[in-house]
Amino acid sequence: MTAEVQNKYIDAALEALGQIILGKSNELALALSCILGRGHLLIEDLPGLGKTTLAQAMARVLGLSYQRIQFTSDLLPADIIGVSVFDRQKGAFQFQPGPIFSQLVLADEVNRATPKAQSALLEAMEEQQVSVDGVSHRLPEPFFVVATQNPSDQIGTFPLPESQLDRFLMRIELGYPKEEDERALLTGQDRRELLSTFDASLDAAQLAALQTAACEMHMSDALLDYVQALIRFTRESSEIETGLSPRGALSLIRAAKAYAFIQRHTGVYPDDIQAVFPAVAGHRMKPADNSIYRSASDLTRHVLDSVAIP
Amino acid sequence: MARRKLPRRSRGTDGTLLASLPWSLAAMTLALLPHIPYMAPWIPIMFVGCAVFRWHLERRRRKLPPATLRVILALLGFLGIMAQYGSVNGISPGTALLSVMASLKLLETRLRRDQFVLLFIAIFLVMSSLLREQYLWSMPYLLGAVWLIMTAWLRLAASTEVSARESALTAGRLIAYALPVMLVMWVLFPRISTPFWSIPTAGGSASSGLSDQMSPGDISNLSLSDAVAFRVQFANNPPPPQQRYWRGLVLQRFNGRSWSSPEPSFTSRGLERIRTSGEAINYQVTLEPTQQRWIFALDIPTRWSLTDTAIGPQQQLTRRKPVDNRLIYTASSYTDYQTDVDLSERAQEYYLHLPSGNRKTTEFAHQLRQQFISDSDLINAVMAHFRTEAFYYTLRPPSLGTNPVDRFMFDTRRGFCEHYASAFTVIMRAAGIPARVVLGYQGGEINPLGNYLIVRQSDAHAWSEVWLSGHGWVRIDPTSAVAPERIESGISASRFSDAGLSWGLTAPSQLLHKIGLAWDAINTRWNEWVLGYGPENQTNFLEWLGMHSPDWRKMMLSLVVAVTLLVIAISGFMMLRYRAPRKDAAALLYKRFVRIAGIPSKAGEAPLNYYERLITERPAAATVAKKFIITYLETRYGPPQHTQLAQLKLLLVQFSKIT
Repeated sequence: MTAEVQNKYIDAALEALGQIILGKSNELALALSCILGRGHLLIEDLPGLGKTTLAQAMARVLGLSYQRIQFTSDLLPADIIGVSVFDRQKGAFQFQPGPIFSQLVLADEVNRATPKAQSALLEAMEEQQVSVDGVSHRLPEPFFVVATQNPSDQIGTFPLPESQLDRFLMRIELGYPKEEDERALLTGQDRRELLSTFDASLDAAQLAALQTAACEMHMSDALLDYVQALIRFTRESSEIETGLSPRGALSLIRAAKAYAFIQRHTGVYPDDIQAVFPAVAGHRMKPADNSIYRSASDLTRHVLDSVAIP
Repeated sequence: MARRKLPRRSRGTDGTLLASLPWSLAAMTLALLPHIPYMAPWIPIMFVGCAVFRWHLERRRRKLPPATLRVILALLGFLGIMAQYGSVNGISPGTALLSVMASLKLLETRLRRDQFVLLFIAIFLVMSSLLREQYLWSMPYLLGAVWLIMTAWLRLAASTEVSARESALTAGRLIAYALPVMLVMWVLFPRISTPFWSIPTAGGSASSGLSDQMSPGDISNLSLSDAVAFRVQFANNPPPPQQRYWRGLVLQRFNGRSWSSPEPSFTSRGLERIRTSGEAINYQVTLEPTQQRWIFALDIPTRWSLTDTAIGPQQQLTRRKPVDNRLIYTASSYTDYQTDVDLSERAQEYYLHLPSGNRKTTEFAHQLRQQFISDSDLINAVMAHFRTEAFYYTLRPPSLGTNPVDRFMFDTRRGFCEHYASAFTVIMRAAGIPARVVLGYQGGEINPLGNYLIVRQSDAHAWSEVWLSGHGWVRIDPTSAVAPERIESGISASRFSDAGLSWGLTAPSQLLHKIGLAWDAINTRWNEWVLGYGPENQTNFLEWLGMHSPDWRKMMLSLVVAVTLLVIAISGFMMLRYRAPRKDAAALLYKRFVRIAGIPSKAGEAPLNYYERLITERPAAATVAKKFIITYLETRYGPPQHTQLAQLKLLLVQFSKIT
């Protein structure tokens, strides 16, 4: 794939997504770079802001098989990964794959399920395979989980522990649309119906090629200096209790590469790092108890404002 | 006695030294080379043998020779040195012993640590060659040797990823950092007139030059030597060639064949007997070591800058100790002078003494005495005899046998200056005129580069002095009667009767001669400023630098301060160098861009964000600014093929025009 073709695909995908989710081009770019960076996406917001629509739109536009798992408090791991059923005719147990066996899995309201069900999902995300009755079953390629979560101060939820939040490459918020975008939304067609009229902009092979190309983005020494300065700051600042881990740093680079790729930069720029930093680092850092930066966005803003670009 | 069992050191080689051993061997070789001419030949051969053997062992991964064999070899080596030199003291035996033991050390070199020891020895060998000689031309070589040793050192210490080129560069850098410290220490370290230790003089290698006696053939042999005897820098114009008589030793005793001098007496009675007129000639002499006690000055010296030096009754400058190092001194001389106008009867008789023999010459003198009443007429007659009769000036006079003066005067009539001076003095004494022979140099060559006089061994000369009542000692140079051009224009212009013999005296070509003169000029500066940097020069130089009445306390204090400052400066420089590659040119251009824009960028503001802020305040510059920012990002953060520094500079110029 030449660079031109790549750009055409990316433009087509972003444009299609932009028609469904109005006025959220930045969030869409982040979501797309999360997938190009081979990471899982966590969307955290209040209900009704288009989380599910976004996941569906991505599956559609990127030409991926799609399953939705509604997480509830009585969800069992078997409901996610599938069960072995005894086949009378064959006289043997037969594995019935669960909804996780699709290329894009929407884990809706992931914080409403019990930790047991949550960890079944998260293990699958980590291992790219599931084991049932001692038999491993590989998950399809590519495999993405888009999890949505209501802010955890609502009643009847099990917030994901930090160790599991770490599995998501990015955590993004959609937020309310702008006035004119909301107007267009209100006057326009139903989003789900509109989505059904779309054709896939890509197929799985093309997506894999784009992922590879994104991974090969150039990183200069100057940029690595900046990344290291950021990480060092998160570890040394008194405002932050837990800073970024090496995995967090790797994630930052992976996401920034994909973002720079989408932006058609010749290399990863400091701007790319800053663009993905809140989404990548926000859920991996914990503010200190006495910190004035309570929210993740305040904290990441503070880090970016404090660290000079070398 | 309980024997404690020590873990035995394994003797196996495993090829791990294959990479570093060649470096150590090369460093050792380079350090040994300057010593080879002074060593017994078996020592370098032994080194090569050990090196080749050790290399072979490493390649085949064989075991090193057992300890008993090594001990025996070491003993044999020590005995060999003792047999060769009779001692282990002194430069030659010392370096020989060091070389032998270093060669044997190769046979037990198994670890990296052993190689470090080898390199230490190499450094010591390099340094010890400075004890022997400190020629300018050998300095680059020794510096190169140190460089190689340092490189070998770094090869040993470095991990395998470092290339040899990098090691060499690092070694060069380290030497470069050390150089200013070395210079400061050299300038400021207090010099004392007597060295801390006396360097034993290289025994056996007698330097060529005039000796304390003169037999026929001595000086003509010397005439073939181009070696420099001394160099002279005149304060004003140098005297004309025919006045450049460099007085050395005065010979008074004659045994029928050779002239000699009694052990020069160390008294300063000579000075009060000199009467001078005219203007003094001031000059500085840089004398090469002669291993003799007398030194040379323009006829006749009245003042000199050396302590431990006196002018004897024969007006010869004599030192207490032989000149075994290069000696620099200033002196004043008068070419117009009278000495010993009153000479006692006893002294007159002393200068008339002749042994029996050379009867024909004596008879010849008696005849002349009867013919001429006046001494000066007699002298003129002898000079005329030399001029008019068939006497020849030759570098290769025939051998003279017994009664050499007779044979020269009446048979061969071929001789060099010593023949003429000797014959003339004998005739004078026989005729009753007190006379003596003076040994020294005559002439010299002015080096136009540097404007100083080079006096070579080939300028060695002998002439006579006769004592005339009322005049004192008068210099008579019989050679001038035979070969006047020798005196007028120097030895290389002399027309020898035997053409073809002059090959050693004329330069093969003008160009080579000029190169030789240029090299000599550089060497003179080296001798004067580097090797001659003693207490006196140091005081002068430091005063010139602005230090008031330097003493050793001030010198030490400024040495400590200067070295501290230098070390700080060098470390600062190293730190800057370390940071330099990280601050690339594009980053500096971006900083200038921000400065020109006049809107300071916030901490942590990415370039594209800065651009957004910039164009709200400077909309006019938006296009150029955008181009600059994009080019900057591509250059600094893109892959190397996107580097566009020139374009970036151009855009910066454009941008600064708009704003």
